Amino acid sequence: MAYLSTTNYLEDKDFIDKWLYTMRTGEMDLSWMKAATEKVKPHEANSRRGLTYRDLDLGSYGFTGVPEKVRGNRSYAPRGAEIPAGVPDAQPWVSRKSEVWAFNTESYYEEAVSRQWNVTTDIPWERLDSVELPETIGKALSQLMTFLTEVEMIATDTPAMWLPRLNPDFIEVKAFIAAQAMDEARHTEAFRKRALTTGWGLMKASPVNEMALKHLRDADSFSEMSVALHLVAEGNVLTMFRFSEYLSPTDVDKRIFRLVMQDEARHVGYGMQHFKYVLENFPEKREVLHAHLDEAENISFAGSAATELTESFIILAGGGLKKENIEEGIKITTKFNLKQMEEHFERLDKCGMPERKQRSKLYQMYEMGRAAAEAAGIKL
Amino acid sequence: MAFYADKDYTTDQTVFEAVNQVMSGNLTLFWYDAKTEKVKGKPTDLRRGLTYKDLDLGSYGYSSIPENLRTSQSMVARGSEKWGNLPDMGYVVNRKSEIWADNVTYLYEEDKSRRWTPAVDVPWSDLDAHPIAAPIEAACSQLYTFLQECALVSMDFAARWVPLVNQDFIEQKSWMCAQMFNWARLNEAFRKRALCGGAGLGRASVSGEQGLKEWLWADSYPKGSLSINLSLGGIVLAICRHVAAFAPSKVDRVLMGYAMQDSARQTAYGSGQLRYYLTHRPAEMSAMQEYVDDSEHVMLALLGSPELIEPLIIISGGGLQKDQVQAGRAAVAKFLRLAISEYFERLEAAGLAASRTRSRIAPVVERISAAA
Ligand SMILES: [Fe+2]
Ligand SMILES: [Fe+2]
Repeated sequence: MAYLSTTNYLEDKDFIDKWLYTMRTGEMDLSWMKAATEKVKPHEANSRRGLTYRDLDLGSYGFTGVPEKVRGNRSYAPRGAEIPAGVPDAQPWVSRKSEVWAFNTESYYEEAVSRQWNVTTDIPWERLDSVELPETIGKALSQLMTFLTEVEMIATDTPAMWLPRLNPDFIEVKAFIAAQAMDEARHTEAFRKRALTTGWGLMKASPVNEMALKHLRDADSFSEMSVALHLVAEGNVLTMFRFSEYLSPTDVDKRIFRLVMQDEARHVGYGMQHFKYVLENFPEKREVLHAHLDEAENISFAGSAATELTESFIILAGGGLKKENIEEGIKITTKFNLKQMEEHFERLDKCGMPERKQRSKLYQMYEMGRAAAEAAGIKL
Repeated sequence: MAFYADKDYTTDQTVFEAVNQVMSGNLTLFWYDAKTEKVKGKPTDLRRGLTYKDLDLGSYGYSSIPENLRTSQSMVARGSEKWGNLPDMGYVVNRKSEIWADNVTYLYEEDKSRRWTPAVDVPWSDLDAHPIAAPIEAACSQLYTFLQECALVSMDFAARWVPLVNQDFIEQKSWMCAQMFNWARLNEAFRKRALCGGAGLGRASVSGEQGLKEWLWADSYPKGSLSINLSLGGIVLAICRHVAAFAPSKVDRVLMGYAMQDSARQTAYGSGQLRYYLTHRPAEMSAMQEYVDDSEHVMLALLGSPELIEPLIIISGGGLQKDQVQAGRAAVAKFLRLAISEYFERLEAAGLAASRTRSRIAPVVERISAAA
């Protein structure tokens, strides 16, 4: 699969002689000085924010000017540079802007850069030293953390897989994806570290959710990947983090969930903006995305069969294994499940896919679940 | 390539029954006695926090990852109990020697603790207050155009491999994510610097990009890592150090200070990986040596790119006057000797003995440096 450069530079006498000549005489070619590129002068729009990618949104360098179909660059050249003949083809799979773009991508990226946090030092781990959780809570927490450790890294692998496939002109999207990969590595780290500090270690894997992970990764296009990952999966996870913060048995856990939520909200934000963008700018894609959502929602529903997760959630929510704990836990978990689905459809609605509800089997499940919950006296 | 669930769960009666059982309070608790090791990790040094090294415990530890991973192909967290029907994710890097480095967890921790933000940590407005002479600014815009090509390819390299690496190498994969992020950040900083001086971007480099693609598309991870992490990381480090020393502005000095830190980590990992690989796979030594022989012409493609070498001469000498160019050439000759000798030192320290003496590029670079 290797690529070999069109020239072996060791054997390129002209190349070496020219280099030697420059070094010996100081006479330079300087043709790059005449590069036919635009001269611009960006300024910090806001000195507190510093020099942002948005400040560079100027002329041929800007992201606003990137056309729907990028025809002019298939190399590793930065957008706006002069591209001479002979540069290689980077083999991008995606050169269509509406397949990847999202309003605000550059700001999501810059926010990610400025909000990097460190699991090692930003979580007060030492406070756990004096914490002895009851066995039920400790194990339930460990089981939840096992699941979260398992799922977080897919949110690294999936966008990373697409990163080199994106045309280099989409540099802000590539940067956002790289930042997301780092965010997700950090989430994996946070949850793994927490599982290994409970005293119970990691627990059981979640085969049903693993199926979901493979589905997330193996999409046919970036947009389909993004709707399944950023909108469905990370949307679900965001709701889950909010509930998990609420049911956290210690302040340390609360802090973990608050920090991961910041990052996750950014990923979902990008996903929503991209979904909106693709629907508006690539209308033919709507049906494809519906079809992918059919699959994504099926798999999302399958998650309810992940007993190891539901049960640990119930225990954490109810505070234990006694009858009254379980009853309370079921109420909260029911609310959580319904909230997750409700927010999912709200997001699709906001992004410009209100018709999803009519088509979606998951929405039927939601309505049935909601009616049953109300009949059981669970207030949403 | 799409992967579909094995059935329609929304119409599957067994799923409904299972969910109903649990939601009516009949918990199975089948997970409650997971067959996993019980540990309670602690930070060994409170000042440092809870590191991955602190959790290198028993079956969870990275020290106990075997050389060949035969039984994990899913996303299951290393050390948790596997059961049921787990998917095969199709990883192709399943041997520890092909990916690991003894310094990888250390580098990951260091990476996180040295975060910086190009938008605010570089005094960009200083370039407005103290503008640089036109030829030097043009040289900067060209140099930073070249550096963006290097950063982009390095970012693509980590991204290209991370989904192919077995999930059991979680610390190493996390490091690769940090690499991706590092290069995105450097790419951002280089782009901002190239544009904020007012000279626009320069020209992409044919020799540079041809070489970069050859390194990026290497057919195995150890080879690609040698090229991208050790060799390219080393070149970028050498450029950044050199430009920091001859910085035409405060912006360049500050920016290159950060860029040196970041690229030094890439090189450290590249060296560590190569050492680990050759230590654990001595039979691969000659194949690796042959790969280096075949691909090190790319060092020339990069170092000899007019899009790199000419702006470097101008920046180092401080301009285009004869005496400035003279001084620039002398400085660049030193840069070339240093870049190349550090490259050989790294290769030799990692186990490719006598790399310098057998290399065909060493005499070329020496001849060119001596010419100055
Ligand atoms: Fe996450
Ligand atoms: Fe996420």
